[in-house]
Amino acid sequence: MDTDKWFSKLLDEPVNELVQKSMDEGQIPIGYSCSYVPDVMLSVDRLFPVRMRATGIAGTEIADNYLSSVICSYTRSLLEFALDGRYDLLRGWVFAASCDHLRRLYDNLEYLKRPGFSRILDVPHKTGNAAISWYTDELKLFAKALTDNFGVDLSAEALAKAIREHNAFNAILRKIGEYRCGDKPVMTGTQYHRIVVAASASPKKALLPILKKIRDDLPKRDPLPAYRARLLLVGGHLDDPGYIGIIESQGGLVVGDRLCTGSYPGLQPIPETGDPIEALAKHYLTKTSCPRMMEAFRERAEDIVTLARDCRADGVVIQLLKFCDTWGVEAAAFVSFIREAGIPVLRLERDYRLGSEGQLRTRIQAFIESMGK
Amino acid sequence: MTTTKPGLSDYLELNKYRAINLMNISRMAAKHGPLNMHRDLKRYPWIWDLLQVNSLLKRLVEGRSGNYRTSVAMVLGGVVEGVIELLEGIFYRSDRLILHEDLLPPEIFRAMGLQPWVPELLGILLPMLVPDTMQKYLDAAESEGVPPDICSLPRATIGMALKNAFPEALAIVSSNMPCDGGMSSYTIIARQMKKPAYWVDIPFDFKNERALDYFAGELKDMIAWLEKHTPGKMDWQRLKDICEKRNAMAELELDIWDMIRHRPAPMAAEAIWMSHLWFFNINPGYDTSIKLFTDLKALTQKNLEANVSAVPHEKYRALLWNPPTLHYIDLMNWAERTYGVSVILDSMSFNRQPFIDTSTPDSMLKSLGNIIMQGPMSRHTRGPAEANYFPDIFHMVKHFDLDMVWVAGHIGCKNTQAMSGVLREKCRDSGVPLLVIDYDLMDSRITPKEGIQEQVGNFMENIMKAKRLD
Repeated sequence: MDTDKWFSKLLDEPVNELVQKSMDEGQIPIGYSCSYVPDVMLSVDRLFPVRMRATGIAGTEIADNYLSSVICSYTRSLLEFALDGRYDLLRGWVFAASCDHLRRLYDNLEYLKRPGFSRILDVPHKTGNAAISWYTDELKLFAKALTDNFGVDLSAEALAKAIREHNAFNAILRKIGEYRCGDKPVMTGTQYHRIVVAASASPKKALLPILKKIRDDLPKRDPLPAYRARLLLVGGHLDDPGYIGIIESQGGLVVGDRLCTGSYPGLQPIPETGDPIEALAKHYLTKTSCPRMMEAFRERAEDIVTLARDCRADGVVIQLLKFCDTWGVEAAAFVSFIREAGIPVLRLERDYRLGSEGQLRTRIQAFIESMGK
Repeated sequence: MTTTKPGLSDYLELNKYRAINLMNISRMAAKHGPLNMHRDLKRYPWIWDLLQVNSLLKRLVEGRSGNYRTSVAMVLGGVVEGVIELLEGIFYRSDRLILHEDLLPPEIFRAMGLQPWVPELLGILLPMLVPDTMQKYLDAAESEGVPPDICSLPRATIGMALKNAFPEALAIVSSNMPCDGGMSSYTIIARQMKKPAYWVDIPFDFKNERALDYFAGELKDMIAWLEKHTPGKMDWQRLKDICEKRNAMAELELDIWDMIRHRPAPMAAEAIWMSHLWFFNINPGYDTSIKLFTDLKALTQKNLEANVSAVPHEKYRALLWNPPTLHYIDLMNWAERTYGVSVILDSMSFNRQPFIDTSTPDSMLKSLGNIIMQGPMSRHTRGPAEANYFPDIFHMVKHFDLDMVWVAGHIGCKNTQAMSGVLREKCRDSGVPLLVIDYDLMDSRITPKEGIQEQVGNFMENIMKAKRLD
């Protein structure tokens, strides 16, 4: 089986065939749109999480009428697809009040198209004890709402089991990811991102056997052909591996990522001891590392520099969705911080829908050349 | 155009306030001394813009007469006194100076004996005085990589920080209000100014005891942090005094709001919105603020009793949603004279949580927390819109007997932009005419004043079927 093609096919539709198959077996898909939503809580009992994407979106004409054209194109695309019935298979969705754009998307959806179950989680903007306590309470209320609505078991035991399974699954993904950042990578960033995004958009149980096989086969693969530069890709939501494909087509191998929809920080293990909901609250609040969190700029910036050094990146590419306020402002500060650390950095704005490919190629070429590669 | 020809007393009134403003400014300059003044004018070149206040006064009172004219001039005069006090804070009390984000409660900082400075304040004041003056700061921020689509208020504030336009402060306090752009701007401001910074977190869903406790806890932590990083110490009795005086202001304001429900309204525009914007956000709990609202109430009462309309020939009553059009602040005055539109109230002033329970320190913090969380912009940019955004609009339309809603559709306000589609449908269903003015809050390059006039004119003539009065 050509696994690249197989994963690509999974990403062709916002709700793929594995989701449909699991539903036929009595499983319940719930959409979510942000890394602050603890997808583990949607991986309990008959529930399974599907990260919401709008793959293949052609335009957002109807959504623009409601959200306007100055809102991030990811949220506009989600609204367009929702109004077009492309998420009708989902039994509900969960949002996080993480940014103005997602909050307003939720407001619009509540007015325009409300599914059987909808919820927005109140995520604090800080990570201290009071904030963790707040988010713990928030997740308890969320657990109750899920139980009341779907009759599923979100007991401490069920959640602890879900955390263990989640960690085991992510350990496999992390292991696979190591093969893209070694001295002689055997896997491209595009291939890896395809797997990670597919994993968030499909029932995990269905993917597990094939991921194990990939993990076991990777050591036997030949190293990739020569490339010009090793890059760390940084940013928020990016669910289109094609974007990385364009970067890599110019010789910039993406050997690491810090993306909301990527390997770091999302695949880090969740503590398996103590109260599971408290562990989840602490984990998602402290590890998600989005610029919407106040007071933690330095930690985020240092994290990027450390990651770049760990994966021996020649340069950092920061990509962000146009109109994203938090990434937009913070990227300006990241650029100077990363440069001060002696690492070349390129900042790119993009739309959710892949476009302006020629421009992207030119920017990447120029960046690689500027590094003398 | 209906220009109520101001009489001799109106001219005298204008000149009286001109003279008072000049006198206050001169007194400040004389007290500071020519050398110090010269140095600080170089250090803070935006002070030159502030000196244009009498030009603004002339624009705002044009065509207005009687108690309405006096009220507008009086409010602006009060703002001048407030600005002078802030400047003197920079000049003489810099050892206690802190910067704080504009929606945080100055009552607390004053009670701690600190000298607050609101970085956003200049971005609000200066474009009213000199419409294109913020462009250099906006450009400075963009040159540093801040995207041009971020709200121009935080963007200009970042630009000012980058251009070293703010006074040196001991510490910076900010929050996640009112929007992501505003919240994020302080990352750059704190980094640029190299000062310790603290952020206060306001929950999304704030209408419950859990949120109130959480936020009161945040305020307590902020006070402890300030006590550690500045010489400020919380004086609870002082806070109580300030809060009680603020309550007195709120009572007076509610009385005025009751009176402007009357048709025609005895008071409107700057007398209502500017008085709230400045005195509740910058000078709450001041004796001078109480006096101003007392005088405003008396003038409003006089008009009401004499059945005098503030706006001559009031034909339409409007709600202004969003901050006023800063770089074309005389829009309301123009609309009054051109179409007989009276802007009765605005989203920045209207609130439902005016009073502070001063019985204990905790009750004060909770009340202040409630005022902030449920205050303008905070309330409107969080919590479900169905609960916090639309109900205010339709309540105000009904309660104040309004004929239309004007949304000052500042292009950088993504929270408002993203609700315009639903608002349009809701207004259509309710039969409330809606105008969304496309423009930028302080960058006249996006939509100049003529463009704003054209949008208002098209709406008034095509939707409201209004005839120009000129």
